[in-house]
Amino acid sequence: MADVYKLKHLRGTKLKVFLAAANRIIPSDKDSIGGGTLTTAAMVDLSIDKLEPALKKKLLLLFTVMEPLGIFFGGKIFSKASDKNKDRLLSWMEKNPISALRLGFFGLKSYICLGYYTREDAWKIIKYDGPIRYKQPYHDTILRGLAQNKVEIAE
Amino acid sequence: MRLEYDVVIVGSGAGGGTMADRLIPLAKKGAKIAILETGPYYPHEYFTQREVEMLSLLRNNGAWPTVNGSITIAAGEAVGGSTLMYTGVTFKANDNIIREWNVPDLTPEDLRPRFTKLWKELNVIEPKSDMINDNNKLFKKGCDKLGWEVEKIHLNLKNCKQEGFCNIGCATGGKQGILEVQLPKAIKAGIELIPNFTVNRVSDSTVYGTIKKTPPDTKPGKLPPGDVEIKAKRIVLAAGSPGSPAILMRSGFNNKFPALGRYITLHPALTVYGIYPKPVNGFRGFPKTYYTARFSETHDHFIETAFYYPFVSTKHLGLWGTDLRDTMKKYNQFMCMIILNHDKAKRENMVVLDKQNNPHIKYELSPESIESLCHAQAQAARIMFAAGCEKALMPCADKPIFSQEDVPDDKLEEFIKPSNYLSIKVPIASAHPQGGCRMGYSINDSITDSYGKVHGYPWLYVADASLFPQSSHVNPYLTVMALADRIAENLIKTSSSWI
Repeated sequence: MADVYKLKHLRGTKLKVFLAAANRIIPSDKDSIGGGTLTTAAMVDLSIDKLEPALKKKLLLLFTVMEPLGIFFGGKIFSKASDKNKDRLLSWMEKNPISALRLGFFGLKSYICLGYYTREDAWKIIKYDGPIRYKQPYHDTILRGLAQNKVEIAE
Repeated sequence: MRLEYDVVIVGSGAGGGTMADRLIPLAKKGAKIAILETGPYYPHEYFTQREVEMLSLLRNNGAWPTVNGSITIAAGEAVGGSTLMYTGVTFKANDNIIREWNVPDLTPEDLRPRFTKLWKELNVIEPKSDMINDNNKLFKKGCDKLGWEVEKIHLNLKNCKQEGFCNIGCATGGKQGILEVQLPKAIKAGIELIPNFTVNRVSDSTVYGTIKKTPPDTKPGKLPPGDVEIKAKRIVLAAGSPGSPAILMRSGFNNKFPALGRYITLHPALTVYGIYPKPVNGFRGFPKTYYTARFSETHDHFIETAFYYPFVSTKHLGLWGTDLRDTMKKYNQFMCMIILNHDKAKRENMVVLDKQNNPHIKYELSPESIESLCHAQAQAARIMFAAGCEKALMPCADKPIFSQEDVPDDKLEEFIKPSNYLSIKVPIASAHPQGGCRMGYSINDSITDSYGKVHGYPWLYVADASLFPQSSHVNPYLTVMALADRIAENLIKTSSSWI
C-alpha cells in the first residue's frame, strides 16, 4: 500500500489560494498539467514544516491575505478569479513598491517551483537527467515518494 | 553538563577545520581540544544528489534572506561548514587586497607561503581538458571570440568522478574540503568533534551552549542532548559571518566594540542564463572551470562559469507563467554563468539579532554594486551571443528574454541598466558573507588584532571570514584557511604561557 501524506499547513482557503497561484506560476500545457496540483502542494507543505517560525508565519499569512485581495482585481476572490485577473494580482505583487509584497511573491513563487521542479515528472519535461546515484536511499521516504509520485495525498 | 578543555573551536568550516588541523601538535602533546559544530555530521552516503533533499545542508533550508529580503544567503550548516557545498574554487587573495585591508603585521609576504602550503595539502589543480564540460567550453569559446582573456579556475580535487553535484554535497569525497582533508586528521589526532552543538554565548573563558538531537542518518557525537558549559583556556570562534559576530553580540561585546557586527560584505552574485540551440547538459561534469577577471579592476566584478539544478535555476531566472514554463523546457540547453560583485565594506551593513537572538544581515545593495552587476550582465550576454546562444536572460534588461536581433551589441549597456533593478524581483544571492569581526588596530575600529585575538581578551580568538576588514574580492575559503593557519601558529608559539 502506498504511503499517505496528510496536508498540515495548506488546508482550506490556503490550499485553494496555493493551487490557484501555482496554476499561474507554472501553467499547464500539452506536456504538463502545470504546478497547481496536490503533489506540488504536498511538497511545499513538507517544506513549510521545516521553515523558521517567523518565515512560516509570514508565508501562511500571505495565502490567507491573497484570497480577499483578489476582489480588487476583477471583483472575485483570488481562487475564483479569471486567469487574467490572477495574473494581474501576481504581477502587482511582483512589482509592488512595497518590498514586503515583492518578498511575498518571491517566497510564493520559490515554493511553487520547489514543489514542482524537484519532482521526477517535471524532470522529464525539462530534460533533466536527475541524480547519477538515483537509487541512493533517503531517510524521509515521504519526501522521496512525493518526488516520485508514489505517495497518496490527503487534504 | 560541565566540561573542561584547553582549546575549544566553535565552527568546523574553512576556519575551524583548518584551526583544528593546525593545533594537532598541541593535541599530540596532550592538550584537550574540541570542535563544536552547530550542524550535523553528514556521511558521504547522505548526499543523494537531489536538491530538495539536500536543502537541509543549508542554514534555514536555504531560505535565509537579508533583513530587507533583497539578497538570499546560502551558508552551510553542517560539519565542514560551507566547504560542504562550495565547488572547490580556489583563489589566493590578491596582494593588493591584503595591503588595502591595512591590518598591522598582516602582509602578502606573510600569507603567500601559507597559500602555497594549503595549495599542496588540498591538492589544488588546474583542470585538464577532460574536465571541461560543454557549458564551460561555450564560455571559453565566447570569451575567445570576443578576444577577452579567460583563465582556468583552480580546484581542490582528487580522483573527482565529475558527477557534478558539488553544491549539494560531494558523494565521492573527491572535493578536498574540510571533510576530507583537515577534519579526519584532527579527529585521528584525538581532537573531539561535537556536532549539533549550538553556542549561545561566551563569557569568562566559558562557552555556553546546547546540544541538539542527532538528525536521522547523520553521525552522532559522544555527548547526549542538553545544555552544556565548557570552560576552556582558549576559545576560537570560527562560526563564519554572521555566526561569530552574532555569538559576540549575544555575549554583550557590542557594548565595548563599536565595529562589532558591522562592515559586512556579501560578494553579491547573479546567476545568468543563455539558451543555446543544442543540448549543453551543464548539469553533468564539473560545473566550474573558467572565469574572466577582465572587468575586475574597472567594473568590480568577476564572471565565472557555474551550473545549478532545476529548482535553484528557477529562482535565478526571475520568471513566472508561460515565460518560466517555456524557458525551463530548455533547461538542458542552458548556458550558465555567475557574476560576482566586489562590494565595499560599509559600516551600515551589519549583523542584527532577532527576538530569539538568531542572526540576520541588514544590508543595502549600493548603487555602485547595482551598476557593476548591470555591467556584468551586459558582458555575460556578449559572451553568450559570441558562444552561439539564441537568447540571453538578464534580470535587469528592458526585456528579460532577448535575442541578438533585439539589441545591437553597442546598445547592451543601455538595454541592461540600473533603473531596471528592483530589489527582490532581481534575484541576488550571496554565498560569501564576510566581515563583522574585522581585524585592525584598536577597539575603536576593529574587534581583533591581526592574529585574530579579540582586543583585551587573551582567551578569545576569531578565525573565519568575519575577520576580513573588506571583501576578499575572490571566493574566500583559501584566505580564511590561510588566516586560520596564521592564528593557530601564533597560538602554538605562545602556548607555554597559557596551556
